[in-house]
Amino acid sequence: MTSDPYSERVRALFAAPDHAGDLEKPDLRVQINEQDVRVALAADIDRDIIVRLRFRAWGCPHLLAAAEAFCRAFEGRPVSALQAFGAGEIMQTLPVPREKLGRILVLEDAARSLGQSARKGPDAGKDTD
Amino acid sequence: MKSGADIVYLDYAASTPVDPRVIEVMTPLFGFGGDFANPSSGHIAGRRSQQHIARAAEQLAALLGCNERELVWTSGATESDNLAIAGAARYRADRGRHLVTMPTEHKAVSDVFNALEKQGFEVSWLYPAEDGVLDPAELEAAIRPDTQLVSIMHVNNETGVIQDIEALGAVCRKRDVLFHVDAAQSVGKLPLDLASLPVDLLSTTAHKVYGPKGIGALYVADRAGCHVEPLIHGGGQQGGRRPGTLAVPLIAGFGAAAGIAMSEMQDNHAHLRSLNDRLWRGIRDLEGIVRNGGEGSTFPGILNVSIADVEGESLLLALEPLCVATGSACNSTSRAPSPVLRALGRSDLLAQSAIRFSFGRPTTVAEVDFAVSRYREAVTRLRDIAPGLVA
Repeated sequence: MTSDPYSERVRALFAAPDHAGDLEKPDLRVQINEQDVRVALAADIDRDIIVRLRFRAWGCPHLLAAAEAFCRAFEGRPVSALQAFGAGEIMQTLPVPREKLGRILVLEDAARSLGQSARKGPDAGKDTD
Repeated sequence: MKSGADIVYLDYAASTPVDPRVIEVMTPLFGFGGDFANPSSGHIAGRRSQQHIARAAEQLAALLGCNERELVWTSGATESDNLAIAGAARYRADRGRHLVTMPTEHKAVSDVFNALEKQGFEVSWLYPAEDGVLDPAELEAAIRPDTQLVSIMHVNNETGVIQDIEALGAVCRKRDVLFHVDAAQSVGKLPLDLASLPVDLLSTTAHKVYGPKGIGALYVADRAGCHVEPLIHGGGQQGGRRPGTLAVPLIAGFGAAAGIAMSEMQDNHAHLRSLNDRLWRGIRDLEGIVRNGGEGSTFPGILNVSIADVEGESLLLALEPLCVATGSACNSTSRAPSPVLRALGRSDLLAQSAIRFSFGRPTTVAEVDFAVSRYREAVTRLRDIAPGLVA
């Protein structure tokens, strides 16, 4: 029998991606396009705290679930925490199959890029292609 | 909707439920007091079992338009394909080692050719036109003096594209080359008359036509030069071509399923046509949607569509509880773009978004309408989540 490739947590995050979408005038925005994955993140910052975080993503259910989990986890945290975000934790907690690490690393790149652009100032949000 | 309490099943090309009338035929053949005996045994009980085999052979032969003696029972289409291709190639290897097939074949066929290539056979892989159909002139050009076998499927399991096996077989017959047809998707669904078709070997299986899983058959034409070397060796059953104790209940079930398919084929075909048209009408206006396989040359039980800028794996999950396929069922764990769709000229991106809807006798209009709304919702939702291509 083929086992279910998606955990209950992945299914729940995929079914209710509350953080999918855009912010009207985000303080920070990044987008990374790879061959089979696209991830965009947008954030509103208030005194170094991420007050709102939104994502857009094109990819497999694990990536979409990971992006939603990331947004839920980082709203309310300091911008500096973004630099510490690593794919490993999300790979374990969702969980995500090892062969999809490359896709979650794109999310990691986007998160760190968001953090870097915050350090450079709110207008430094950049899109990467 | 109807398929079940929590699913809507539109994956009949992968497998069909067993018809209750078939179950009725099979049930008495399992237990003590029924005809459970080994059909090779010479006693009364064995002869009774043998009668069920004979009856099933008559029913399947009637459906195929062949003689019962030309049928070999197997475990399913995969074994039939292996026996036909490897068995015939090895039998004729002293005459030549060149074989011809297409990259759009089911893996039960293409993997046999891959294995034969490693054993010193040379294989020519012919690509179809954009509508999926192979031009007989292409086949004729590929046949060489040392060609021994051509294998082309009748109805493609992913796209439903129908090959003109009469014209392709005529080319093979003219050049004295054996012609094998994988008909797993067409037997019992499209008319076949092997008495008049230039086909030498034909694979089929019961579970695509409302029979049980685990039983199939290979037609081996009773003509000079058409023979298969056995893949397994044992008790000498079935003339030694496929030894092993015959599975009486499964064979009887296959026979019953064949009989039902024959009597209801015309009505079923009309039913499938109307469901296919209804689904396509419901989604064809979506931006970037394409139908895989030409409209005119496809079996109506299958509708395969790709759509631009939607990721296939997410689409499949978003479609739940709809049970459909991304590629062939046997290949659904692999996320590599389907070679069948690549052979039709689809890009990797379009191929990975492909969804195969397949309909069956029990499919209702309400189920198709549910599929339409679910597909439209899923595509819209995933596109809404996706960022633009330009950052």
